[in-house]
Amino acid sequence: MLNAQDNQLVSQTGPGTPMGELMRRYWIPALLSWEVAEPDGTPVRVKLLGEELITFKDTDGKIGLIDNYCPHRRASLFFGRNEECGLRCVYHGWKFDVDGNCVDMPSEPAESNFKDKVKVLAYPCMDMGGVVWTYMGTLENQPPPPMFEWTQVVETHRAVNKVLQESNWLQGLEGGVDSVHASYLHNNDITNTTRYESRSAAPSIEVEPTDYGYAYGSVRHLSKEEGNFVRAYQFIMPFTQLRPDDRRESGASPKVAGHMWVPIDDENHFVWNFVYSLGDEPLTDADKAKHSDLAYEVIDINNGFRCIWNADNDYGIDREVQRTQTFTGILADARVGANLQDRGIQESMGTIVDRTREHLATTDRAIIATRRMLQEAANVVGDGGTPRGTGPSYYKVRSIQRVLPVDVPWQEGMKELLFEGAEYSPIMQ
Amino acid sequence: MLTAEDNALVTKVGAGTPMGETIRRYWLPALLTRELPEPDCAPVRLRLLGEDLIGFRDTNGDIGILEENCPHRLASLFLGRNEESGLRCVYHGWKFDVNGNCVDQMNEPIDFKDKVKAKAYPTYEAGDVIWVYMGPADKIPPVPSFEYTRVPETHRGVTKVWQECNWLQALEGGIDSSHAPILHRQIREGASSAGIQLSTPFVRGGAPTIEVDITDYGYRYTGVRQLGEKEQYVRGYHFAMPFTQLRPSQIGRAGSPDRAHVDGHHWVPIDDDNCMVWNWTYSFNDQPLSEKERTGEGSANGWPNVDPDNQYRAKGNVRNDWLIDRDVQRTDTFTGIDGINAQDRGVQESMGTVVDRTREHLGPADGAIIAARKLLIEAARAVAEGDDPRGAHTTSYYNTRAIEKVFDGSLAWRDVMLPEMYPEEQPEPAG
Repeated sequence: MLNAQDNQLVSQTGPGTPMGELMRRYWIPALLSWEVAEPDGTPVRVKLLGEELITFKDTDGKIGLIDNYCPHRRASLFFGRNEECGLRCVYHGWKFDVDGNCVDMPSEPAESNFKDKVKVLAYPCMDMGGVVWTYMGTLENQPPPPMFEWTQVVETHRAVNKVLQESNWLQGLEGGVDSVHASYLHNNDITNTTRYESRSAAPSIEVEPTDYGYAYGSVRHLSKEEGNFVRAYQFIMPFTQLRPDDRRESGASPKVAGHMWVPIDDENHFVWNFVYSLGDEPLTDADKAKHSDLAYEVIDINNGFRCIWNADNDYGIDREVQRTQTFTGILADARVGANLQDRGIQESMGTIVDRTREHLATTDRAIIATRRMLQEAANVVGDGGTPRGTGPSYYKVRSIQRVLPVDVPWQEGMKELLFEGAEYSPIMQ
Repeated sequence: MLTAEDNALVTKVGAGTPMGETIRRYWLPALLTRELPEPDCAPVRLRLLGEDLIGFRDTNGDIGILEENCPHRLASLFLGRNEESGLRCVYHGWKFDVNGNCVDQMNEPIDFKDKVKAKAYPTYEAGDVIWVYMGPADKIPPVPSFEYTRVPETHRGVTKVWQECNWLQALEGGIDSSHAPILHRQIREGASSAGIQLSTPFVRGGAPTIEVDITDYGYRYTGVRQLGEKEQYVRGYHFAMPFTQLRPSQIGRAGSPDRAHVDGHHWVPIDDDNCMVWNWTYSFNDQPLSEKERTGEGSANGWPNVDPDNQYRAKGNVRNDWLIDRDVQRTDTFTGIDGINAQDRGVQESMGTVVDRTREHLGPADGAIIAARKLLIEAARAVAEGDDPRGAHTTSYYNTRAIEKVFDGSLAWRDVMLPEMYPEEQPEPAG
C-alpha cells in the first residue's frame, strides 16, 4: 500500500516531477530503428515522459529527436520537410539540425541574425540493438551508453519489438517483476499439474539489491531429492527487467528475455519486448515470435502499436476456453505469449491503480523492493545525487534459471552466472 | 511571447471576460444567408463567443437570433416550430418573436407573457451574411459594411469552415505575410497540387520587411520584398478590429491574368477552443467572379471541402493528419497538404487548441502579429475602463481595399499604394 501522495510520486513522470527527473537520468528507448530508417524520410511523432517530440533521420543518417513544436509560432514539426541535413517547418521555413540549431530562417530579412539566437529542444540519440535511444536529462549527467548485453549480440541472435499499454508505466513494471502471478494468470493448461509452477505455486521471493537495481530469485521447492527450481531475474533501474526465457523446454541454447516499461505519459506506456541467445545458434522464428516483427500481425503498427485485442473487446476473452482450458480464457499464442494476459489484467486495474486500496503480501516482495528503490532514487536525484544504475555495472548481468540442490542458496550457486558472464559466450557484433 | 496571463486575456471570449466583452462591441458574422434561405424555414443552431444560440427567419423575412434554451424549462428552441411570425417551443408552446418577446403561452390559463423575454440579439443582413450584435444596446456600432458586402452578388463569394483551435491563432496565421510563400509554395513548375508558384514575385521576393501603420479601424500593413536590383513587390493588407483581414489578390497566379480581386477572412470565435473561419472574395471592377471563384473550389475552404451538414467542418482535419501526402510533399508542394487554406488550418491546429504563447520566439517578420496583439490588449483595457474600443464606432474601414503591386524600388510604397488602398468615395451602405 502507498499513500496517495507516494502513489503520485512513483507514477507521474512529466518534466519537473520527482520520478520524471529520475527517468531523465537514464538512456530511454524512444523508438525502433526501422521507424526512422531512411535518411530524409518521413518524420515520426514520439511521446516520452509526457513530452511531445518529433524524430527524423537527416541526409547524413544522423537521428534527431526534437520538440514537436517549432519554437517560432509553435506549429507542429510533424509536417516538416526533412531535407538537406535538417527538418524544416513548413509554416515559415525555419530549419533545425539534429542538435536543435536553427540553420535557416528564410522568413526573416537576410541581415537578421535571429537564427543564431533560436534553438529547438533536442535530445541526443543513439541507434543500438535495433532501438533508437535518447537521453532527456542535463548534459553533465549523461550516463554511458545503454549497452545491455542484448544490444551487443549479432542481429541474428536478438529480437525486439514494442506494444502500447494503456495504463501507467509502473503497473506494467510491477506486473513484470512479480513472479508469482505466472502460476495463475499464465496457466494455459489447467489440467496439467506437472509444471514446476503448478507443483510449487507459492514460491519464496528473495531480493538482492545491487548498485544497478536488484537481482531476485523465485525459489520453488520441488522435493528434497530434486532440489529447488530457481528462476533468477534482474531489475535494472529504472524500468528494465531480464528474465530467463520461458521457452526452456525447447532444448536449444539458453536465452534471456526482458521488458522495458517506458512511460509515454502518465496514462500510457510502451512495453518493449526483447530476447537474445546466449548460445551459437541464431534465434528461430519460434524463439523470436512475440519479441519481434512477427507479432505485428496482431499489433497494429499503423495505430500506435496497439494490439488488436484490447480493452475495447475485453482482450478477446473466451469464456468457454476459460472454463475448460486456460486460467484466463485470454489468448496466449506465439505472437502474444503471456503478454496479452498481462496487459489485460494490468489495464483492468484502471489507468493508474489506486495503491491506497491494495493489500500486499509476502510474495509481493519484489514489487515492494522496486517501489522503495524508485522512491529512494527519486530522493537522491532531488538532493542532487546520482541514482543507482547510471553506471556501466549492468552491462554483463544475465538472467538464468536452474534447479539447485536444496542446501545451495542461489545467491551463491548462481553468482558467476548472473553477474560475471560465466559459462556462455554469446556472439557479439 | 506573452505571459500566461496575457495569453489568457487575448484568447478567452466567454461572457464577462475582457476579450469577450470587447468582441461583443462589434458586429459579428453569425450565419450565411443560405442557412436561413426563406421565411419560416427550419431554425439553425449556432454558437458564438461560448453562447449557444438559435437563428430563424420569420414569416416576414425578419431574422431572429435567440438564446438556444426556452426561458420556461430550458428546452432547446432548435426543436421549435417556426410559424406565424415567431418561433414556438414544442415543449409547452411558448412562442417568441425575433426580438425575444413572448407572444403566446399555450399552456397557461392566465398568461404572463409580458413578463417573460428570451434573450435576443439584433441582426443585420448584408453581403450573403447574417450579422449579429451581442453587446450592450446603447453601444451598438454603425452597421457592418465592407466593399465585399456591397458589390453585386455575382462579384462575390462567401464560405465558412469550422477550425478546431482558438480564434486568435487562426487570425495570427492570417495576418502573417511571411509564411505564405513558404507554407504555400509549390516546389516545382507544374506541380500537381495547388500552391504559390516559384515564378511569382511572392516567392522570388524572399523574406519580406513588414511595416505596420496603425489606423482608427485597426491597421494597414505591408510586406515589402525586394525583387532584384530595381524593383520591389509590395503587398498591402488591412486589419479591421477585432478579427477581419483584407488581402490583395490582383496578380494572376498559375498562368492566369491579373484581375481586380480582394480576398479576406473573419476569424469568429465559436468558443475558446473553436472558431469559424469566414472566407470571402470579390471583384471590384466590372468582371464578375467565375463559379469556381465564388464557391472557393481549390482553396480547401470552399464548398467541395467542407460539410454543411456537419457544422461546416473540413474533410481534412486533425484526425486524419489533414490528409498529408508525403510523396507530394517530397516532389510537388512544401507541405503535401492539398489546398492553401487546409495548409493554414493544419499548422494552426497543430499548435494545440490554445497555443502556449509563453514558449514562442517572435522575430521582426512577425511584426503584424505583435501589432494585432497590442491593439487587442489595448481594446480590452479600454472596454474594461468604460471606453469604446478602437474601430467599434468608425466607418472608415468601409473604404478600404487590399492592393499588391510591383514597382520601382526607389519609390516610397506609401506614395504609390495608399491612394489605391483607400479608393475614392464609396456608396453608403444600405439599411
